[in-house]
Amino acid sequence: MNESKAAAYRLGLITLLILAVLTAVEYIIGVNMTNPATVLFVIALVKAAVVVQNFMHIYRLWREESH
Amino acid sequence: MSAVTHHDHGHEPPYAVQIKSNRLGLWLFFFSELFLFGALFVARFSLWGNTRPELSQVVGLIVTSILLLSGFFMYRAESAIAHDDRKTFLSSLLIAAVLGIIFFVGVVVVEWNVFGIHVEGVELFGHLKPTDGVFGGVFFAMTGMHALHVLSGVALILFVWNNGRKGNYSSDRHWGVEGTALYWHYVDVIWIFFYPALYLIGHVG
Repeated sequence: MNESKAAAYRLGLITLLILAVLTAVEYIIGVNMTNPATVLFVIALVKAAVVVQNFMHIYRLWREESH
Repeated sequence: MSAVTHHDHGHEPPYAVQIKSNRLGLWLFFFSELFLFGALFVARFSLWGNTRPELSQVVGLIVTSILLLSGFFMYRAESAIAHDDRKTFLSSLLIAAVLGIIFFVGVVVVEWNVFGIHVEGVELFGHLKPTDGVFGGVFFAMTGMHALHVLSGVALILFVWNNGRKGNYSSDRHWGVEGTALYWHYVDVIWIFFYPALYLIGHVG
């Protein structure tokens, strides 16, 4: 496996791990806190940002070269 | 097709330019869809306030995890084709589609309980109906609109898988894969906001 492919797969796994941890935190906060709206909204924003950056590659929009 | 033919006198833009335009167009489409999903999101907070219907937390957590896992396999499929790893590309696409279908079934069969399933002692199956006031209306509008996008996403993934099986994509040319992956992740992002809004925020009303 070449280095860039391994790095791409590794990034996917790290992103999945981050999303899994944040979802678990979200769940624990949601079922235990009385008024969790703000915290949950912040966590959702972080999760969305991680997906947009790592999975959707938003930076490709202003990058010159392409596949 | 050749980039320069006798008839078009070379007016077809280079592939890199086409891809850049495609990406911009797709992101603009996502932006336009934000108004639809944003309206549903606002409707939830406007009509439900700090309350929510009684929903199975287990089902919510499971379907959310399944969709996130599906997004990971979609990413893996795109990364695989970008490195000409066809085997991983095709298998990851199939896994992403199957997980998408499981999510859809989880929402429609379990949460909506379209078949009216009732198992004694098991509280997984939903009891909310679209006619149950603002709870039912908003819940079915949000999950229904999202499920429709999941269904179209699964159809796109299977279409791409079929094209991939025929060898239509390469590491140099795979916009179909990239576009489908972008769409699938967008559907994922929408659910990232819908999940807490539907299942976790507010007390059971």
